[in-house]
Amino acid sequence: MLDWLPENVSVFGEGVDHLFSLIYYISVAIFILVNAIYIAFIFRYRRKRKGERAYYYHGNNILEFSWTALPFALFLFLAFYSDGIWEDIKYSDKTPNPDLVVEVMGQAYLWHFRYPGSDGIFGRRDSRFMATTNPFGIDPDDPNGKDDYVTINSMNIPVNKTVLVHLSSMDVIHSFFLPNMRVKQDAVPGQWVDVWFNSIKTGKYEIACAELCGSGHYLMRAVLTVQPQADFDTWIDEQYGSVSAALVAAGSPDQKNSSAPAATTPAVPTK
Amino acid sequence: MEAALQTDTHAHGGGHAHRESFIRHYIFSTDHKMIAKQFMFTAIIFLFIGGAFALFIRWQLAYPGEPIPLIGQLLPSTWVNADGAVTAEWYTQLLTMHGSIMIFAVIIPLLVGTFGNFAVPLMIGADDMAFPFLNMVSFWLFPLAGVLMMAGFFVEGGMAAAGWTGYPPLSAIASMGQTLWIVSLFLIGFSSIIGGVNYITTVLNMRAPGMNMFDLPMTVWAVFITAIIIVIGTPVLAAALSMLFMDNFLHTSFFMPADLVVATRDMSRTAGGGQPLLWQHLFWFYSHPAVYIMILPGMGVVSDVLATFARKPLYGYKAMVFAIIAIAFLGILVWGHHMFQSGMNPLLGTTFMVSTMVIAVPSAIKTFNWLGTMWRGQMEFTVPMLNAVAFVSMFVIGGLSGIFMASTPVDIFIHDTYFIVGHIHYVLFGGSLFAVFAGLYYWFPKMSGRMFDDRIGKWHFWLTFITFNGTFFPMHILGVGGMMRRIYDPTVYDFLKPFQPMNEFITINAMVLGFAQFLLVYNMVYSWYRGRAAKRNPWRANTLEWVAPSPPPHGNFDVPLRVYRGPYEFSSPESVQDFLPQNVPPEEVVAQRARHEKRLAASQTRDGGSGE
Repeated sequence: MLDWLPENVSVFGEGVDHLFSLIYYISVAIFILVNAIYIAFIFRYRRKRKGERAYYYHGNNILEFSWTALPFALFLFLAFYSDGIWEDIKYSDKTPNPDLVVEVMGQAYLWHFRYPGSDGIFGRRDSRFMATTNPFGIDPDDPNGKDDYVTINSMNIPVNKTVLVHLSSMDVIHSFFLPNMRVKQDAVPGQWVDVWFNSIKTGKYEIACAELCGSGHYLMRAVLTVQPQADFDTWIDEQYGSVSAALVAAGSPDQKNSSAPAATTPAVPTK
Repeated sequence: MEAALQTDTHAHGGGHAHRESFIRHYIFSTDHKMIAKQFMFTAIIFLFIGGAFALFIRWQLAYPGEPIPLIGQLLPSTWVNADGAVTAEWYTQLLTMHGSIMIFAVIIPLLVGTFGNFAVPLMIGADDMAFPFLNMVSFWLFPLAGVLMMAGFFVEGGMAAAGWTGYPPLSAIASMGQTLWIVSLFLIGFSSIIGGVNYITTVLNMRAPGMNMFDLPMTVWAVFITAIIIVIGTPVLAAALSMLFMDNFLHTSFFMPADLVVATRDMSRTAGGGQPLLWQHLFWFYSHPAVYIMILPGMGVVSDVLATFARKPLYGYKAMVFAIIAIAFLGILVWGHHMFQSGMNPLLGTTFMVSTMVIAVPSAIKTFNWLGTMWRGQMEFTVPMLNAVAFVSMFVIGGLSGIFMASTPVDIFIHDTYFIVGHIHYVLFGGSLFAVFAGLYYWFPKMSGRMFDDRIGKWHFWLTFITFNGTFFPMHILGVGGMMRRIYDPTVYDFLKPFQPMNEFITINAMVLGFAQFLLVYNMVYSWYRGRAAKRNPWRANTLEWVAPSPPPHGNFDVPLRVYRGPYEFSSPESVQDFLPQNVPPEEVVAQRARHEKRLAASQTRDGGSGE
């Protein structure tokens, strides 16, 4: 059964999969035990002769107590064991320092990914500026936002680096699902949630929406490209180049405000 | 005492009820048995509608974009495309309506409405419910709500399409169908509350003389506790629905944050400042207990059926009662486990995980006690028993798969996947619906006065049991593979393409499963008119409903009732027979025994005499 799991390429995914298999083996054992007794009883205690009497018996308190206490201990153990892994993944004070920060915005039915420009600083957001053409609501007056670049349905990250995603939605609830990273987090409009992951393997992986967001829900597919740092740097330079070229071409007066130098540095957050 | 008085006034000499007009008797009836039949009849119609929706969903998932066979071309153009294949819009409506109908218009009305109404007054020896008129109102709100929900077919934009959970903002920026859905659920909730108050009052005040709370059969206990959950939880749903209605209709912002960008709706009239997660908290505060509303009565029915056909006292009766109470209490504290990935504070995830793990304990207690009931029994595998036995086994699977979801880290992966879909169907179909079948077959003789066809009943059971597992077990594997629920076409994703053969397998099983249910209807309808006449107590059971004639007349009992013992005195050494009804006086038991021993002694002397 567990062979059907998509390949795990995430650092914390190991903990998730380990817990998954632990619960799997425990529940298979309980299932076999209970059903073996059950089936044995079905055959052993079916009425064979008319007039024979069943055993007149109302129950046993020691048994009742033990089959209350044993599951209680087992389930509490599972809860506390799970909680350690949960805290490592979800608690903000346990999140490792990120090497890259990406903002992700869900929209029916696509994903927007925003990288800070060469300055490594995201431009200020304000939901009042949010529009289909400006999904993140980047403040047009903020120079830091000029060189931010946004991709649609495609996300690139470097391998073996901690990636922190600021996640939100501009219309309805979506859910940011990366099966291979063991990541799933609802994107709630009006609220920003942080998710992190760290991929240990390069390659192309799929990103899906896991929360019903309308009839096009199934189309909300994006591609995650995990690259070696060098390739990622090249990619990010290309993206940045196109952004600054567009800025030059536009020749808007805002351009002088842009702090964009020609040379680029990898997008490292200044958080 | 009250009950005894009423029983006396209604005992019109051996079942000759006073004549009623057709409308009073069949339509606006206040008789709990007729209302139970009305609930059953209406819910079974909805069962087939909801089932048909499921089959359309399954067809699309197995053969995405292919025309629906035979009827594809006949369906309206708002549902199917030119080829006759399900459109994405209709698919979303289908999955919403399938869930809403099956939960609110099938399982709850069958378990609470039908069995609650039919069995509770009979099992406690009352002549009717405490408030017969309210009972009628409670029923009539239900078809009204069902029709309103279905009316989405005829409005622009179609039926509700935000899932049965109706998460805003999606549900708050929706079409007219969604508003109808909200009003419909509100009315069903209203119906539930009225019913709940009625059950609580009936059980507390109308028990036959001598009947203590701990003489109640498990079905009555379960419906009683369920009614308490309904009365606590449903008003919260009603409040949430009212807010959603206003967000939709009056552009308020209970659940709406500011500055949403929505192409289909002018958002400038929505001020914002609301919180989408608020809906989820309120909704699940009702809808998680609702899962227990849908399983507790089933557990009660199954406990009664198992004890009756194992010919054994229910193992650990008091533990079973306390387990139900514990489930009900803890059930109110676990709603957040639906929201582990919702953006809720992860600290709350921890607390809800602990409470969710703890609620597995009373479920385990119940399972072990059912096993204990079967231990050293004399089991008779009648059709109700087969369904009850299946319930226990399927409930074990549904319970175990729940542990995966309770564990927050594992839930990260399987949340909103087919693993959840598999789990919920093991609980609601493998659990609740098998209990419904067990109860329908068990009480059919009492309801109709006739026996059902055993052979068709067994065919129905085996076909359902096998194809049920064929349909829903592979869904766990799809979920492990990561297949998201509610997607229209899984082949869009590369990682889901390998699962297509499994989707086809599920659909084939689902088709057989769906059509097998016609056997149930055929059996019920045919046997209702042509079945062999049923005796008063065909199952040789102990509870009070079997003291009444089959079917019971208006007013139920033709003999005065008094209760002397608990409901599960099977194979008691006191009694000559292997059962001991609750209403047989102890002196009568002693006298029977004396007569029996005398007869035995006489025959022994005779045998001894002939031997010499």
